[in-house]
This record gives sequence, structure tokens and C-alpha cells, in this order.
Amino acid sequence: MLARPRLRALCLRNARHTLPAQSQRRQINHFVSQNPPTADQPPPSQPQTTFTLAVKDNITTVSPLPTTTCASPFLASHASPFQATIVTQLQSFGAQLVAKTNLDEFGMGSHSTHSAHGPVAQSLGGSPYSAGGSSGGSAVAVANEEVDLALGTDTGGSVRLPAAYCGVVGYKPSYGMLSRHGVVPYANSLDTVGLLARTVGRIRELVVERGLWKVWDGRDPTSLGEATRRRCAEGREGCNGEKGRGLEGVRLGLPVEYNIEELEGRVKDAWVEAAGRLEERGAKVVPVSLPTTRHALSAYYVIALAEASSNLAKYDGVSRGQGFGEEVKRRILLGSYTLSSEAMDNYFLKAQAVRRLVRRDFDRVFRLENPLQDEQEVFDLSEMSDDIPMESKLGPAEVDFLLCPTAPTLAPKLEDVMSGQGVLDAYMNDVFTVPASLAGLPAVSVPMPVEGEERMAGLQLIGQYWDDAKLLGVAEAVSEVLRGTK
Amino acid sequence: MARIPTAELSRYLFAGQIGHRGCLRASRIRIAPTSSSLQTRQFASHVESQAPTATTVPPTPLRKQLKEQAKALKASGQKKKKKVDNQTVPGWELTVGIEIHAQLNTARKLFSPAANSFNDDPNSHVALFDVAMPGSQPVFQPETLIPAVRAALALNCEIQRVSRFDRKHYFHWDQPSGYQITQYYEPFAKDGKLELLARDGIAAEDGESITVGIKQVQMEQDTAKTTAQPGEVQWLDFNRVGVPLIEIITLPEIHHPATAAAFVRKVQVMLNAVDACVSGMEAGGLRADVNVSVRRTDDKCGTLGTRTEIKNLSSFKAVEDAIIAERDRQIAVLESGGVVEGETRGWAIGSTETRRLRGKEGEVDYRYMPDPDLGPVVIDLPLVQYLASSSGLAPDAETDQLIEDYGLTAKDAISLMALDDGARVQYFYNVLDALEQKLGSASVDTIAVDRGLSTLAANWCLHELGKLTELSNNLGMTHKGECKVPSADLAALLYHLHRKEITAKVAKELLWAIFRGEISQGGVTEAIEANDLWFHELSEKEYSDLADQVVEGEDKVLGEFLRFAEGKGKAYPQGKLMFLVGKVMRAGPEQRMDPASVERVVRARIDEVYIPGLKSKE
Repeated sequence: MLARPRLRALCLRNARHTLPAQSQRRQINHFVSQNPPTADQPPPSQPQTTFTLAVKDNITTVSPLPTTTCASPFLASHASPFQATIVTQLQSFGAQLVAKTNLDEFGMGSHSTHSAHGPVAQSLGGSPYSAGGSSGGSAVAVANEEVDLALGTDTGGSVRLPAAYCGVVGYKPSYGMLSRHGVVPYANSLDTVGLLARTVGRIRELVVERGLWKVWDGRDPTSLGEATRRRCAEGREGCNGEKGRGLEGVRLGLPVEYNIEELEGRVKDAWVEAAGRLEERGAKVVPVSLPTTRHALSAYYVIALAEASSNLAKYDGVSRGQGFGEEVKRRILLGSYTLSSEAMDNYFLKAQAVRRLVRRDFDRVFRLENPLQDEQEVFDLSEMSDDIPMESKLGPAEVDFLLCPTAPTLAPKLEDVMSGQGVLDAYMNDVFTVPASLAGLPAVSVPMPVEGEERMAGLQLIGQYWDDAKLLGVAEAVSEVLRGTK
Repeated sequence: MARIPTAELSRYLFAGQIGHRGCLRASRIRIAPTSSSLQTRQFASHVESQAPTATTVPPTPLRKQLKEQAKALKASGQKKKKKVDNQTVPGWELTVGIEIHAQLNTARKLFSPAANSFNDDPNSHVALFDVAMPGSQPVFQPETLIPAVRAALALNCEIQRVSRFDRKHYFHWDQPSGYQITQYYEPFAKDGKLELLARDGIAAEDGESITVGIKQVQMEQDTAKTTAQPGEVQWLDFNRVGVPLIEIITLPEIHHPATAAAFVRKVQVMLNAVDACVSGMEAGGLRADVNVSVRRTDDKCGTLGTRTEIKNLSSFKAVEDAIIAERDRQIAVLESGGVVEGETRGWAIGSTETRRLRGKEGEVDYRYMPDPDLGPVVIDLPLVQYLASSSGLAPDAETDQLIEDYGLTAKDAISLMALDDGARVQYFYNVLDALEQKLGSASVDTIAVDRGLSTLAANWCLHELGKLTELSNNLGMTHKGECKVPSADLAALLYHLHRKEITAKVAKELLWAIFRGEISQGGVTEAIEANDLWFHELSEKEYSDLADQVVEGEDKVLGEFLRFAEGKGKAYPQGKLMFLVGKVMRAGPEQRMDPASVERVVRARIDEVYIPGLKSKE
């Protein structure tokens, strides 16, 4: 087993944005290994340090933090012989790697509690709350202002959910945009590298202005080729870093199916309130229908766990019963079951069919076409919710982005999570984040104030495939509007 | 991994309970020796036998196995039925389907740029992905498609524009990722066929020719090479992990054991001819699994009997023998009122029966899943057309040419084509070219072949060269058709032999000397000269005198010739003639005599001298 990382005295750097109750936030077990920032002299070969970086411990690094444990006893001493492309890219932009962050083992979890290093928590008002998962350590590091930027991985919401719980910005790019080479996979067809920061602007600067979105990585077979990148970028705004028109004329869709029973009242109110404020700033807000939403969560868990059970088959060096935590074991069993010859047709293949329908739902509501689809979807009005008004004879309004909460609740207390909140409840946290993952779409969670609450909620914007640049531009505007509301 | 009953899994999934004897405990890997010392190649399918029922046999040397087989046969008092007479069992129909794995001839592995090596230092060509390093990903190497598509075209398959890769899961130490990447749902080639001719060695019952349908050809990864060491230790060479293979799957359309063996042999020839394959069955580059079932010939229900699978057959003989044994076993079971179980069986070289490896309950659920890292493979028509047009003469056409234009027997032609993975026939061309050049008979019109020369060269390239390797010597044949006996030296040897400047006996001794390296390259003529091995043939007079001497007192034999001359005997007594020739050969200085000359002289003396002599005696 790993030694628990020593808790280091928190050294707050110059806080640029003093958040409410900032002083009460304390790190709790969010780092797996650390290399304290040496702000003064970087080695001559390295570019000038321009920002500090924490990396989720399922993304390989070689120096100065040589281990990549994935929070699994299996990889307790694993020193990767190579470094993930995304880390190298950020270092070339001047990132100084200062910590590897705690997570749910192999990224499997929603609260960063299923870790060989022990659970991650955020401290709010002196009590420990869930940091969200699985990139909880990264979110806490950013929220505590210990780093400027953190890398996470987002398979079904693992960057957006902790960002929402911890009150920071979490961005999941279009699938295939940022290289996964060096990311220890959970579910390859859903995994993306995500970025967490305190402002959308920092993420936008790296992804759009410094051109991370353009870079193809031949070592990642799911990294989009250069020609495809160019084709996808046609008709996309803001790719070259040009500032958009803010919220003016932007159409935001509120998916009616997201108004679910499990959605906490305070969060729902904040969502409605936020939509209203955005409308005041020139956005047009309309209801839209995503009829497959209610099946998306089950489809997600079938596909993700099937792929996970396959990916983890390699860790057979010692008895797997000893080497994996409970949650990982549960997921391997579920995944193995859905792939078994008897269950395959009923689960895995059906889930893939649902996945196509989820993507089709999105393609129908977005004004932009999905560049990866050959044919435009035909609209069948009968499948749509009755609540959706028609814009014209041709159907309801098409939108630029979807606007919805990132999670149905605020960050729960850690003890409630640990003391056996049902497994299904934990899976339920992902209900608003998995649809974008299934469809490979870009999404960003920005902090959303909640009336009478110290805790932040997350407001999620989802865009059409490869519309990342404009998504980040609009999210920045949205974020500014929301910040002004508190 | 022991299989968890679905019922138990369901219980777990719906109630969160799992028995203590759950899969996590059972998944402990059992390290057991495998029977891989003879053929160190272990294909993925082989390792399926690691369920608890698996029989793992300690490695036994081939020679020992063969000896034991002979002993067992003798002890049983059985006379082995000749295979030719054992192609059918009255009242029963046999049905066989075959799966062949062949290693592709490529520079790199299937999903990593590591070199595809054959005999390099162990673990010297291993990429991170090959050993499943966390965070590494497969990168498909498109050039592996070239031999794969060539092979599929040689088997008359339809190349699929879009194909995909799937993961096949099972645990074994030779598969670091816990799964093999293969093409299960959408293979790259389908619906092929291969025509087998009588000369290919099919069963007589199949007549002049038979066509075997090929269901699909798929690309997949090879596993690491396991080498058993003393004391339960296995050495692993990851150079082979991820090396590209193709798996060829036939329809169940073969009904005779010899035809099945002929099919595998012909596939090997076809793959060699298009340069798709690294090595043949002898070297372990090709392996076959066979599916066998039987049903009564009067069975009208139209469905095949329950089939069993025999895995990892490593020679053509094993294919035929295993099928015969399994067919007979199934018939015996059915005739005694039993039921054939669907199961996997094994075959040891030289045995007389197949043995059960595991039944249905021991089967591994491979949990096939499309590989989520790998996109579809798109093969455009122009590539297929280019490869089709650049594949050279098809082996059947080449065999025809050897028979019709070079005057070879069908048997020799097929042997030449098959030996040394297709390199032997190239060697033959090299020798023949050099020989013709020396004789100045190389004509501009290459179609006209001096059949005397071509059959002479073929005889030496096949049979005399074959004798060199009888004691397990290696010819060291390269794919360019050169070996330890340089083609130019064999041609020099045959040049002198053809011109009767040396005897066949001397030529054979010289061949051994060349093979052993006692004659330096290009030094054949010098060696003959230095050792005075030239053929100083007896004169006609000396031959006649010798013959006269030998025939003394053979009046009884000569009488046969007289009978023939008088029209009393039906056929010329060739046997008696050869008897006399033999006597003459033994009586004279062998190194100065040519059997052909002796035969000519003796025959002339019989007609001209001895018969008139006999007549005058009467």
C-alpha cells in the first residue's frame, strides 16, 4: 500500500479572486505526490514558468514526479517509462508540474473516495464535503489556489462534476481533440483529458489561443487527423482566438428532460435564475427536447464498464481480489457480465444503439451540423416532448448550446457519501454529464451561485462537436454574468 | 479464469451478493508447464486449455514421441490401416472445417512499430504497447495489410472495404493485455474458395477436383513465445507478441481426411507463392485447428452432427491422422448408443487417438468487444487491384508449367513447389538456368525446355538434395533459392554428369563434399581434376568382353530372350536383362562403367551374339 501523503501546510499564493469563505477551505488529501513550486529559477532548457500545474494521477508523468499510481494498489510504485503528450505540451507552454492529484481508482467514482490513498475532501465551513469525482484532487487543488491549472480525465463527468462541487471551471473537450496518449484508460471510447482552472479564460487561452485544439498526436489512434481537424473547424467560430460577440444572439436550449425528480430544488432554482440573467444579457433561451436522456445513464454505465473490464484485464500480476478496490471490482464484474455471450445482446449492443440515439438527439437540437455525420438527421416530431413549442412549420428552434446543471445536487457531506449512500445514488450524479460524453461533445461547467448557500453548484454548457472555441468563449461570458450575481 | 455461472453473476448484480468462491479468488493464474517445447509456437487458441480440466503434458522430444507411438502400435497388435483405404467409413459421412493461423511476412508488428523479427535476441523488439504498459495505445501499421490482402486474394476472397478490430479476452501469461486483438465481427476478407486438384493429394473419393469454401480471413495478434525450462519455469519472449497473423476459416465442406491435409498443404503453398507468410508448418509459421463431425449417410434431417475441435495441429500428417482418429472415435461413440459431446480435443504427434482437453463447461467466454481505441480499417479498391495484379503466377499455373513444359511428374512438381516454403522451386530454376548456360543450350525461346535437363535438375534438387537433410541437417535455403549447395556448383556437377564425364556415384559423393564445405565455391571441376574423379569409361570392346565373360553359363536366362525372339514370350524380359546388367556391373571396375552403356552393350550382344549362339546350340 501507498504511504499516505504527508499533509503539507497550505501555502496560499496571491489570490487573485478571493472567493467567499476562501480561508475556510482546506485541502484534504488531494495530492498523491508533490514537487513544491520553485517560482524562482527554472532550468535553462525549460521555458519560463508561466503557470503551475497539477496532474491527475492516472496521467503519466516522468519528471519531476515519476510515479503514476491511478490510486490503485496495483500501480502503487508504477513509474511510467513515458510521459503523457498533454503534460509535455503544457510544459512546453511553461507549465510547472507541482503535484499529482488523488482520484477514484482508475477514475471510477463520483466522489474521489474510492482511492488507495484514502478519500479526497473539500472543507467548507469546517466540515468535510465531497470534492466530486473522479478528478476530485485536481478540483480541490485549483479551488485552493495551489495551482493555476489542473489536468483531469472526464469519462462521464469526472472533470465537470468535481468542478461543480468545488466551485471551479471544468472543461471536457470534444472527443479526439486532446491526446489521450499516456492517459491510463477507464473507457477508451468516452475518455477525454479535461482541464480545470478558476477561470474559463485560462483554459480558453491554452486550448484556443495557443492552439492545443489543432495538434494531432500519432501515438493516440483516437486523436483526430489533421485533415479531419481542418474539416471539422470549417464553419466553427472563434477557432483562431477571435473574441465572439459575448451572449448577444446566442441561443441556449434548456432540455426539458433534465428537469428530473432527483434535481434538488435549490439547484433547479439557480438554473432558472441563471437562464433568466443570461436572457437579460441578450441570449435567447428556449426549451428543447432530448428524448433519449432517460436511457443515457444506463447506456453509459454498460459501455463504460464493459470497456473498463477489458482495460483492467491486464492487471493480472497478482490476485485481482487483493489488488483492486471494491468499486473497481464491482465495475469489472458488471462490465464482464454485460460482455458475456449471454448478456451481450441485451446490454452492450442495446447500449450502443442508445448511444447513437443520444448523439442523434443532440444533432437535432443544435444549429450546427455534426461534422462526423454524413447525413443530417431527419426530425420526427412524434418522439419529442409536448412541452416544446414549434418555432416554425419545420419544427422547434435550433440552438447553439445547451444550458443545464452539471449535477442534480450540491456537494454532499463526505460522511454521507462514505456511510453508504447507495451505489445507484452515486451513479445518479452523472445523469447530466454522461449524455455529452456518449456523444463525444464538448462541455464546460462553470460555477453557479445558489441562493442562501455557501456551496456552489455547476452550470453546464454543451456544444456541438468541435465547437469548443465558441463554447469556451460563451462560457467565459456566462461565467462573468454569474459571478456578478453574488 | 474459471467461469462464473451467469446465475451467480445475476444474483450479484441485482442483490449485491457474491459467493465466497467468486471469480476473484478463482482468477489466480495457475502456472503450469505446457506442451510447447516441440513447437514453441503457441497460438492464442492454444491457451484456452488452461481451464481446470486442461491437460498439460510435460514436453517430450519428437523422436521419443515417434518411438513411443511405434511401440504402442506394435504392442496393440493392430496393423495400421493404410490411409488410402481409410478415407471413408461405410454408412457414415464425415464433415470437417478447418481454421489455419499463419504468421504474416511484415516488417513491423500489427499495432506497434516494433520490428517483426524471427530469430533475434529474446525481448529485443518490444514496444510499450506490446507489453500493455498503462497509457500506451495501439497504432495500426497499415503495411501489414499488404501480405494479408495478398493472402486473401490468393484464397479468392472478397476483400471488405471496411473491417474492424475486436478484443478477445482470456488470461494467459503470453498475452500481457489480457485480450487478443482480432477481427471477430467484421473480418477484412470473406467468401473465398480454394480449388484442390487430384494432384494436390485429395482423397480419390473426391475425384479430379473439389472446391473448399472459405468463410473468412481475419487479422489478429500473435502471443508471446513460451519456452519451457526445467522445473516449472517458463521463459517468455515478447518479440512475438503482437506479430500479425491471419486466421483462415473454411466452411464445413471437407468430407475426407486426405483432402483436409491437402487443403492445409495447398494453403501453405498459396501463401508462400504470394510471399504472405514467414514460414511453413515445419517451422511453426502455420498451424491448423480442425472441427470434426459425423452423421449417418441416410440421415435425412440435414443437420450436421455435434462437432468437436482438435487444436494446434502442426503437420499435414497430423491433420489427416487426427481427423481419422476423431472420426472413428465419434462413430464408435454413436454406434454404441452414446452422444458426441461438443468439446475441445488435443492431438499428440504420433498418437492414435485424440484426447479430451475440455468440454463445454470449461469453455472460456471471450467477451468479444469492438476495440474502442481502434478505428475501422478501410481498404480501397485501387490497393486491392494493385495487389491482385502484382502477385505473380498462381501456384496452380506454375505447377502446370512444371509438369507440362518441364516434364516433371505431378508429384515432383508439387514437392518442388511445397519445399522450403516455396524456395526449393526457385533453387531448381537457378540450377537449371546455370546448367543450360554452361551447356550453351539456353535458348532465347525460354518456353522450349530440354526435358532431359529439367528432369535431371529436378531429380537432384528434390531427391539427392533431400538425402543431405535426412539426418536433420539444414540446407539453409534462402527465399532467393540459394543454400549450402550453391546452385552454380550443383549446375557444374550436373554439367559433368550430363556429359558423362563423371558417374552418378561420384556426383553424389561430390554433392556431400560441397554440402560439408569441403569444396570451395566454384571449385567443382578443380576438385574432380585434383582427385582424378573423371569417368574413364570402358571401351566397347572392354564392355563386350566383360559381358561375354558374365554370360558364361547363363543359358537358362538367355533362353527367356530366345523365347521372346521366337514370339513365345509376351513381353521383352527386361527384368532378366537388368539381372545381367547387374552382374556385369559387379564384375567390372564400377567407377569406369555406366549402367546405361552396360545395358546397351548387353542388349546388343544378346541380340547379335548370344541368341544366334543359343540357336546354333540347338
